[in-house]
Amino acid sequence: MSEPGLRIVDLHCRVAGKEILKGIDLAVEPGKVHALMGPNGSGKSTLAFSLTGHPQYEITQGSARLDGEDLLALAPDKRARAGLFLSFQYPAAIPGIKVANFLHAARQAVRPGDLAPAKFRALLMEKMDVLGMDPSFMGRYLNDGFSGGEKKRLEMLQLAVLAPKYAVLDETDSGLDVDALKDVCDSLTALRAGDEGRGAGFLIITHYPRILQYITPDVVHVMIDGRIVMTGGHDLADRIEREGYDTIREEIAAIA
Amino acid sequence: MLKTPDSVAGEELRERLSAFDDDAFTGERRSLALERFFTTPSGRQRPGPYWKIDIETLSPSPPSIAKASGSVLIDNSNARLIACDLATAAREHPALLGRALGATRVQATKFGALATAFQNAGVFVYVPADAATDEPVVITYNAPDGASLFPYTIVLAERGARATVVERLEGGAEAFVCGATEIVTGEGAEITYAGCQQLAASARVVQTRAALPGRDASVAWACAELGAGLTITDLSVAIERPGAEARITALFFPKGSQHVDVVSTVDHVVGESTSQTIVKSAAVDDGQARYLGNIRIAPRAQGSDASLRDDALLLSARAHIDSVPALEIGANDVKAFHGATVGALDADQIFYMETRGIERNAAERMIALGFFEPAIAHFPTDALRAVIRTALAAKFS
Ligand SMILES: Nc1ncnc2c1ncn2[C@@H]1O[C@H](COP(=O)(O)OP(=O)(O)OP(=O)(O)O)[C@@H](O)[C@H]1O
Ligand SMILES: [Mg+2]
Repeated sequence: MSEPGLRIVDLHCRVAGKEILKGIDLAVEPGKVHALMGPNGSGKSTLAFSLTGHPQYEITQGSARLDGEDLLALAPDKRARAGLFLSFQYPAAIPGIKVANFLHAARQAVRPGDLAPAKFRALLMEKMDVLGMDPSFMGRYLNDGFSGGEKKRLEMLQLAVLAPKYAVLDETDSGLDVDALKDVCDSLTALRAGDEGRGAGFLIITHYPRILQYITPDVVHVMIDGRIVMTGGHDLADRIEREGYDTIREEIAAIA
Repeated sequence: MLKTPDSVAGEELRERLSAFDDDAFTGERRSLALERFFTTPSGRQRPGPYWKIDIETLSPSPPSIAKASGSVLIDNSNARLIACDLATAAREHPALLGRALGATRVQATKFGALATAFQNAGVFVYVPADAATDEPVVITYNAPDGASLFPYTIVLAERGARATVVERLEGGAEAFVCGATEIVTGEGAEITYAGCQQLAASARVVQTRAALPGRDASVAWACAELGAGLTITDLSVAIERPGAEARITALFFPKGSQHVDVVSTVDHVVGESTSQTIVKSAAVDDGQARYLGNIRIAPRAQGSDASLRDDALLLSARAHIDSVPALEIGANDVKAFHGATVGALDADQIFYMETRGIERNAAERMIALGFFEPAIAHFPTDALRAVIRTALAAKFS
């Protein structure tokens, strides 16, 4: 039996001919919450895209497994069906595809035939209510003309509807007002407490300790220049908020 | 120099016409129209070297032409409207018919003239003053296999009338269809005319459609060119009365070796008028398409507001879509918008859907179908929109 968890070992990734990830080791166990912090351009989103299989992100070394399954051997849709979810930092807008139809197609793909249409609608309404989303969003085109905050809420709705085994949240909290952040965190909490989401592991990419006050991380990682340079507890997020990344950089340089 | 047809075929066409001395159109109207067909250029350049068909020499084969051909079904549940075949209209409503027949530019065009000469099917729709209906008049033309069908549809709407006409064009393996449509309206009328062409892949079809809205009237063309091996469509609105509005929507999706050539023209002859043209097209396999979008604003048409939106999606390396916007703006106090895109599917959109578990093929199909939605929204009735969506989805099988 293989070890459960989202397990990343020595992952290297090239983008546009340049090595961005230079050996990432990280393991998110079921039910655990990991935070990933790091300065702009350090490679956080690159890690998210590497895991989900973006065609422009070339893995040159290392492995990534989801409950033992080799993620890197799978097409992006198969990774989703294996139980991986990414909340995009910048979700794509797709005019012409209605939110309701899209959510239904996604749920069908990830959890085939498990819900009758009426039940599915009820599920949507319940999740939207937690997220403070108006039902009229269902009839709109996917992310088309959505405000930044509305896009993030829709990412969280998808997370709630798909209930993956592991979710990477790429700056879901960025650009949210106080109320929206609270709604998003309520939705996450509800998901983790519910039947489908219990035992899910989270990798929360963020610049702010704010979200981590609602969803307490078990582990906090710091990524700088394509490497995880420090791993600690909740207090590491507070330290970054206070001191920025300079003291961490100095500390690393001193050790090296 | 007259290129089409050659003189022998021309003689044969003239001979064919001798059987058409009848009811709806006089023999004189027909023979003059046939001569105009011979002498009028199509005005269409061949889009490019990859385009295998010469539009200038396009002509029905004389033996395929017969006076009685095809079938016409008229579905009209509005008691206040007249919707009848052209022969009946000529007998029972000659004065009304006379006000609209030939009132637009249709008969002056090459293929409009051909449609007039051999007209062998047709419908007259009359909407009296202030009559308003939500139930559309549905006309279904069915082209017989191997035959030539010349459907001529005329809509006359009086002041304040509001109606929708849906035209379905079906059948026709190896058929040649050459149709004409004229819309003439009074003040403040609102007419929507939707065409849904689903001929057999071996058919050829040429349509010439022109509208003349009255003062403050609104005319909408919505055309879905889904079938036929060769489709040539000419959609136009001439705004000659102030306050009028023209809306043109076209969608097409050549697949296999289908060829589609669409020209739309809005003539803002007078000012204080608006027009909105929306064209969505995709091509796959060896599908070929050309779209020419004319917006002409005459020097005295101050206060005109015209927009033209044209997006094309290329789904294979050998597919072609040429989009040619042509804005001629003679007045200075006008609003004119033009936006066009030609491209492949967006990789980020595909990836986004894949991360939600949706297979690449399904994602591409959903995105491509979604691309047509802004155009589909302009077609009347849920039933027609469903027909169009189904036909578009079938392009992916
Ligand atoms: N498609 C791409 N083409 C070229 N460079 C890229 C591409 N994607 C990422 N990069 C580069 O890789 C580096 C890491 O980018 P990444 O988006 O992973 O950073 P990040 O840690 O998520 O930053 P932020 O906090 O600003 O979101 C950056 O220098 C970026 O410019
Ligand atoms: Mg990022």
